Amino acid sequence: MKAPVNLPEIPPELRGNVKLISFDTLYNWARKRSLWPMLFGLACCAFEMIATAASRYDMARFGMEIMRASPRQADLLIVNGTVTKKMAPQVVRLYDQMAEPKYVIAMGACAISGGPFKEGYNVVSGVDRLIPVDVYIPGCPPRPESLLQGILALQARFDHENIASMRAFQKTPDEGIPVPLLGPDLADWQTLWLQSHPEMQVAPELVDEETISQPGRIHPLEPVPFGDTAKTVLILQSRFPRDIQPLEDGLLVSPSKILQVADYLREQLSYRILSNLTAVDYPNPPEDIPESCIDVVYHFSRLSGGGTVALHTRVNRTEPRLASLTPNFPAANFQEREIWDLFGVRFEGHPDLRRLLMWEGFEGYPMRKDWHEAYFEAEHKPYRSRFPNGSKPRSAESRSPFRANVRLPEGWQPAEDGIEEVDRLLYERMLSADRDPAKPLGTEELILNFGPHHPSTHGVFRMVARLDGETVQHLEPVFGYLHRNHEKIGERNTWLQNIPYTDRLDYINGMTNNLAYCLALEKLLGWEVPERAEVLRIIMSEFSRIVNHMLAAGFLSNELGLYFTGSLYALEERELILDLFEAVSGGRMMFNYMRPGGVAADLPPGWVERARELVRERLPQKVKTMQTFLLDNDIIQARTLGIGVLPPEMAVACGVTGPVLRASNVPYDLRRADPYGIYDRFEFDICTRQHGDAYDRLALRFDEIWQSLRILEQALERLPKGPVQSHKLTPLLSVPAGETYTRIEAPKGELGFYLVSDGRRNPYRYHVRSTSLLNLTPLSAICRGAKVADLVAILGSLDLTLGEVDR
Amino acid sequence: MTGWGVLKSLWTVLRHFFMTYVDDFRYGPGRRYRPEALAERQGAKAQGIFTVQYPRERLPLPERSRNLPFLVEDATTGALRCTACGICTQVCPVQCIWIERAVDAETGRPLRRPAQYHLDISLCMGCGFCAEFCPFDAIKMGSDFEVSSYERPGFLDATQLARRL
Repeated sequence: MKAPVNLPEIPPELRGNVKLISFDTLYNWARKRSLWPMLFGLACCAFEMIATAASRYDMARFGMEIMRASPRQADLLIVNGTVTKKMAPQVVRLYDQMAEPKYVIAMGACAISGGPFKEGYNVVSGVDRLIPVDVYIPGCPPRPESLLQGILALQARFDHENIASMRAFQKTPDEGIPVPLLGPDLADWQTLWLQSHPEMQVAPELVDEETISQPGRIHPLEPVPFGDTAKTVLILQSRFPRDIQPLEDGLLVSPSKILQVADYLREQLSYRILSNLTAVDYPNPPEDIPESCIDVVYHFSRLSGGGTVALHTRVNRTEPRLASLTPNFPAANFQEREIWDLFGVRFEGHPDLRRLLMWEGFEGYPMRKDWHEAYFEAEHKPYRSRFPNGSKPRSAESRSPFRANVRLPEGWQPAEDGIEEVDRLLYERMLSADRDPAKPLGTEELILNFGPHHPSTHGVFRMVARLDGETVQHLEPVFGYLHRNHEKIGERNTWLQNIPYTDRLDYINGMTNNLAYCLALEKLLGWEVPERAEVLRIIMSEFSRIVNHMLAAGFLSNELGLYFTGSLYALEERELILDLFEAVSGGRMMFNYMRPGGVAADLPPGWVERARELVRERLPQKVKTMQTFLLDNDIIQARTLGIGVLPPEMAVACGVTGPVLRASNVPYDLRRADPYGIYDRFEFDICTRQHGDAYDRLALRFDEIWQSLRILEQALERLPKGPVQSHKLTPLLSVPAGETYTRIEAPKGELGFYLVSDGRRNPYRYHVRSTSLLNLTPLSAICRGAKVADLVAILGSLDLTLGEVDR
Repeated sequence: MTGWGVLKSLWTVLRHFFMTYVDDFRYGPGRRYRPEALAERQGAKAQGIFTVQYPRERLPLPERSRNLPFLVEDATTGALRCTACGICTQVCPVQCIWIERAVDAETGRPLRRPAQYHLDISLCMGCGFCAEFCPFDAIKMGSDFEVSSYERPGFLDATQLARRL
C-alpha cells in the first residue's frame, strides 16, 4: 500500500491551469503519439504498409509522420513479410541497432509463423524466433486498417508501461541479440543452444515412407507439330540427325552438342531470345527416360514472334556437368546460376558460377526431389494427417529437432569467421571483375553494399558496387533475400493450390500471375474458356498493368528524391482500382481470381459502371497529371536522361522483356508476338522509345497506360453475357501427363510457367520464368561507369518486384 | 525554358492542395464526416482529401471481401453446419485445417459431424478455397480485419471459429 502523497498547495491564481499527473502518464502519452516506424519492407505485406502510409489510410494521423530509413532513428519495426534465413542476420542486426524503447509488430502470416511459406527451406518460421514481438496481426496480407488497428493496440499497451520496470531502462545493459549465422543452415542462438543440449531436442517423427519418391512419368508421344515452330524442329532434326531426338514437346539434344544447337538456332534460325532455362530432376526415372538424370530445359523464341522451341538435355545426377550458354546467351547467366544453386549442375565455362538464391555453404541442392527440408511431412499435399483423424493438430515445429525449420549436421560448429565464408566468393569476384589491365590499381577504391535493407531497392535486394571515387567500376546484384521456395512448395501442392501462391510472386500484379498459371494449366488440360471470362481476364490484366506502371513511375520518383509525393499520386489511383479488384475477387492484393477454365466469380452488380467511370473520366485525367508532374519535370529529366542506356542488342541477348525492352526500341510484346487469350481481337499499339535510357523506360510506361486504357474501353464495351467458367472444378484435379511452357506479357515483361505433369494431382515440376530476374541480367553492365546516385535511378527504371526475382 | 517543368510540377502539387478546399466550398460545411459523404469522397469523382478517418469512420467492405475463415453455426439448432467431409482439408493450400471425424460410439461408423475442428490462424493465407469448395456452405470467409493480438495466434478450435450468421 502506498503512503498518501501530500500534494503541494496550488496557489489560487494557478487553479484550473495546472494538472498534476504522474510522470509515467505524461511520458507514455508523449511516446504513444510519436512512434517512428522504420522504412523496412520485406515482402507482399510491405505494400499494405505503404498503402497505410499513403493518402487513404494515412498513418501520419497517429503521429507516424516520418518513416525512418535508418534503424537508429526508429523505434517501431513493422516486420512485414516473409523473413528468410538469408535475411535473418540483417533483421536481427537492424533490431539491435534500433533505439530503446523499441517495439516490433509482426504483420501478416509470414512474419508470425512463416505462413504459407512455412515449410520452405529458406524461411524462418516466425520472426518471434529471432526478436521479441509485441503485436501480431494475422491475415495474408492484413488490410491497411488491420495494420492501423495493430498499431493502436500497441499504443494501448503503452498506458500500462512503467518507466521503472521497462526493459529499456534497466540498470543491466541490454547486450542485444546475437546475430544468427549462416552455415549449412541458419544457426540462431536457440538452434546453437539446442545443438549443445541434445536432451532438449524434439525427437523427429518418422516420415510416411509410402509417400516418398514415386517415379515420375511422362508419356512418350509422336512429335506433334506445334504452330510455326514445327518447321524449326524439322530443320534442326535434319541438321543434327544423330544428336537430336524428338520428344513430346521439344527436342532431346545430347549434352555435348547443346552449344552447337543453340548457336545454330540463334545464327541460322534467328532464335535470339533464350526465354527460359530450367531443370527437372528425375531420381527415379519414368519409363521413357533410360536412367536417373537431371533434365535441363531451354526455351528459345524469336523476336518476330511465334511459339518457343524447347531443347532438353540430360545429365547424370551424381556429378552433373554441362557446357554453359552464358558466353553466347548472357540471358543464361542467372538462370544457370540458379540451376547450379538448386540442382547442383555445374556449368563449365560460366564466368561466375556462384549460388544465386541460397548462400555459399548451404548444404545440399534443395530443388532435387530427394532433398527434404526439416519440416518435411509428405511428398504431396493433401497430407494424410489432416483428415479424418486430425484430432491432434501439431505445428510443424514439433517435427523438427531444433523446433525450427533448421537442419544442422551433427557436431557442426560455427567458424569464427562464419559470416565471411558466405560472401567470400562474392568479394573475390568484386575485386577481380572488370579490371582495366592498364590500370591495375584504381585510386580510392571502395566496395559499397547497397541493401538488402535499403529504401531504394524495392525490397530486400542487395547490390555490391566497386567504386572509384563516385564512379561504379563493377556491380554485382545479390539475390535470395526473399527466396521463399515457391517452386519446392509448388511441387508439393496440388494443381489448384498453386493459384493463390502465384499471387505472391509479383505481388503488385496478382491478376496477371494468376492468368499465366491458369493459361498453362488450360494448355495441359485442353480446356476452353468462355467468352465472358476471356474478356474479364483482359480487363483485370490491363487494370493490373495500369497499377503496375503507375507504381513503377511513382517509386522511381521516390528514388530520385521526391520522397513520397510521386508515389502518393499513384497509390491513390491504385486504391480505386484495388476497390474494383476487391469487389470482384474479395482480396485487395491476393486475388486468387483466375481458374483453369475461366474465372472464380462473375462481376458483382454495378461493377462495370464503376469501372467505366474510372476508365473514362478519372484515370485519363490523373495519368495526365502524373505525366506532367514527372515527365516534364526538369529535375527528373536531369536525373534520368541518358542514364543507364540499354542498347537493343544487349537487351535482347540478356533476355530482357516488357517495357524495359520496348524502351530500347525493340517492338516485342507477347500480346502481339505470341498472342494468348483474345488479345488479337483488340485494337492497341505496341509502344517503343528510341534511346533505352532511364527516362525512356519511365516515359514508355505512361505510353503503355494509354494503350491499356484503350483496351479497357473496348473490353468494357463488348463484355458479352454468359458463363464465366467452363468446367466444374474438383479439389483434387488430375492433369494429363505432359509439359508446357506458357508465357504471357505481364506488366513487367514475359512471365512464363514451365509445368511438367506426370498425370497425377501435383505438378512434377513447377517453374516460374521470372520477369524481374531476367530484366536484372544487364544491370551490372549498364551500371558500369555510372555514378553512385544513378544506381537507384537505373534500378528503379528497371522496375522489379523482389517476390518475383527470388520466388 | 529551363525551370518551366519544375514550375509545372510544383503547380500540380499546389493545385492538388487547393482542390481540397474547393470541394469543401462546393459541398458546404460538415460534408467531410457524414457517412453518405464517404462514398462520394472515395468515388471516381473525388478531388479533395482522400483519407478515411479510421477508426472513426470505416470504408464499407465489399460483400466478397475476405480475410480469415469461420465456421457457420445454424441459427436454430446452434450446431455447426460442417459435415466433416474433409474437402476443406484437401483443398487448403497451406494445410492449416485439421478435422477429426466423429464416430458413433456403438456402431463405430463415422458420423456426419466433426468431433474436433482446428484451424491454424497463423498459417491461413486467406485464399478462400475452403469456402469456395465447401459443398454445404459450412465454412465462410469473414471480412473481420481487427484481429491483432499480443500473443502469437495459433490453432483455433470449433468453438472459437464458430459464428452465427
